[in-house]
Amino acid sequence: MSGAASYLARRAVQKERVRILYRRALKDTLNWAVHRHLFYPDADALRERFDANKNVEDIETIDRMIADGEAQYNKWRHPDPYIVPWAPGGSKFTRNPTPPSGIEIVYDYGREDH
Amino acid sequence: MASALRAAILGHIRVPVVANGSKLLTPLWIRSMSSHDDHLEKTQVIDRILDIVKSFPKVDPSKVTPEVHFQKDLGLDSLDNVEIIMAIEEEFKLEIPDKEADKIDSCALAIEYVYNHPMAS
Repeated sequence: MSGAASYLARRAVQKERVRILYRRALKDTLNWAVHRHLFYPDADALRERFDANKNVEDIETIDRMIADGEAQYNKWRHPDPYIVPWAPGGSKFTRNPTPPSGIEIVYDYGREDH
Repeated sequence: MASALRAAILGHIRVPVVANGSKLLTPLWIRSMSSHDDHLEKTQVIDRILDIVKSFPKVDPSKVTPEVHFQKDLGLDSLDNVEIIMAIEEEFKLEIPDKEADKIDSCALAIEYVYNHPMAS
């Protein structure tokens, strides 16, 4: 039955969008609330907002809610998020790249014959 | 004349260099500050990941083993899965791309991913 398969495929895509949205929203919450004692209540509130809509069944409503959620996330994105230093966007990214393979140091100090 | 003096001084203070393979003589203390080739031990990775999973409030610590599946064995939600992966990212100072983070479903996968990641620390 292709109807059921496409429905399941749509639901799976929606679930993945929800997971990625939750992940990004949680990281953003940590960016805004730097201290852990502020982060934990905010993270709990975010989880409550996601859990309140957990049992919605209608696929169109779910799509609309996900779009709303992503719009809200885009509105509240932090302008200077914490990115791990070696990752793209971080402070250490391409800071000290490994030298190309043909180059090496010739250890003959004092033995040069100029 | 100056160059002769210089050559004489250099000849006096010249350190004899052995023509042997340099790997044997490279002192170990030279790269002590370099984290270039220090990788985590697998046992360390397993211990740290199990600690993270056990300290999650919705998890029963006695059920956690290195092969446990988050949603099937521990009865967690997919959002709880996301939270655990975020905690692992923070612990090992990693940045996992969203698509790959979605696929990490069990302790075994998490351990594999962290152990094989070059920048895990």
